[in-house]
Amino acid sequence: MEQDVQLVQQCLQGDGSAWEELVRQHNRRVFNICYRFTGNRTEAEDLTQDVFLRIYRTLGSYRSAHGGFATWMTSVTRNLLIDHYRRTKRDRATDSLDDAMPVVENKESSAKRPDEQALLGELSGQVQTALTKLSPELREAVVLRDLQQLEYGEIQRVLAVPEGTVKSRINRGRIELARILQQMGVRPS
Amino acid sequence: MNWTCEQTELLLSDYLDGLLSAAETHEFDAHVNTCARCTPLVSSVTHALSRLHALPQIEPPARLVYNILDKTLGPRETVTGWAAVLAWFRGFNAQRLAYGGVSLCAMFLTVASFTSFNWKKPRVADLSPANVYRGADRQAHLVYARSAKYVSDLRVVYEIQSRLQRSDELPGSQDSTTPQAAPDKNPGSTDGTAPASPKQQNRANDLGSRAIVLAAACPVCSEGGIR
Repeated sequence: MEQDVQLVQQCLQGDGSAWEELVRQHNRRVFNICYRFTGNRTEAEDLTQDVFLRIYRTLGSYRSAHGGFATWMTSVTRNLLIDHYRRTKRDRATDSLDDAMPVVENKESSAKRPDEQALLGELSGQVQTALTKLSPELREAVVLRDLQQLEYGEIQRVLAVPEGTVKSRINRGRIELARILQQMGVRPS
Repeated sequence: MNWTCEQTELLLSDYLDGLLSAAETHEFDAHVNTCARCTPLVSSVTHALSRLHALPQIEPPARLVYNILDKTLGPRETVTGWAAVLAWFRGFNAQRLAYGGVSLCAMFLTVASFTSFNWKKPRVADLSPANVYRGADRQAHLVYARSAKYVSDLRVVYEIQSRLQRSDELPGSQDSTTPQAAPDKNPGSTDGTAPASPKQQNRANDLGSRAIVLAAACPVCSEGGIR
């Protein structure tokens, strides 16, 4: 966190390499939040660029006293995701299945057999599909808690809601996700 | 305390995150183990959570960083010269690549040295397969010849040592150097024994015999010497 604060200071003084370092350190995390929320790789890429553009333009408004830089960046990401969701609500019903197909991930499971990898990829795809079926409020809570491993306090700052609301959304999100997975036929082994 | 299904559903996340007290956890477990509704609920949510945690991190496309930098800092000038080389090496900052990169460099240096690559006047032509083969072949022959000569020299030294030892042990050679005490004889009389071997041998003859031993052992002087 200290390193982020130093890099932000250098960016504000016009140091382009500091900005590049910030981008390199955080782009993967932001991309994953966007992808897990949208389920679409192209949209995730565009949204990640929009997030960093917004961050670059409003860097002067960041205050370390209000929280870590990563938390602030996650908050900006979440706001853009919600805006994007509202903008594209009408178009969502006509999205092609190809766009919504989750990417085969498994970069870290290269030691597994091909059939195990295929199974993992299929299960990951089903979980991703189930995630995108959650409502945005529940989805963002589950993504931040269970995929980004944020603490309740951080999620509270990102979503700007009371901690009780955060817990409630996470709980309902998990139960709803389990129900959707059961409906899709993904059952406990 | 009567634990209800509503409490189970309300506190399910706290239970899964380990945030309940010991007493609450006990009540929760006791209820779930006996409730036909709550058992599948807890099981399905636990399963969903494990699936969520098993989702891997997605690698963003490589061009994403450059697109972001272009949009924020503006298109950058093409880096040339040593800056371009250093920028290319930046990718090896990752620890997992650094070890492989160092091993690769060490292997390349070893192979280049073995193939007599000229570091003072490097040429690209020296890296062609034909030149690498010729260099490696020449080096191999040189190493073989030097090793063979070394072994041969060792053999010569051993031969010389062993022959010198043997010649020292022969009875004649000992008599030649050590003066023997003259047998007791009365003047004008004999003791009937055969006349003794020469009491003293010419030192030059003794040196000559050692030279003959050396010459016999030296392969250069022999007909079947090393080419």
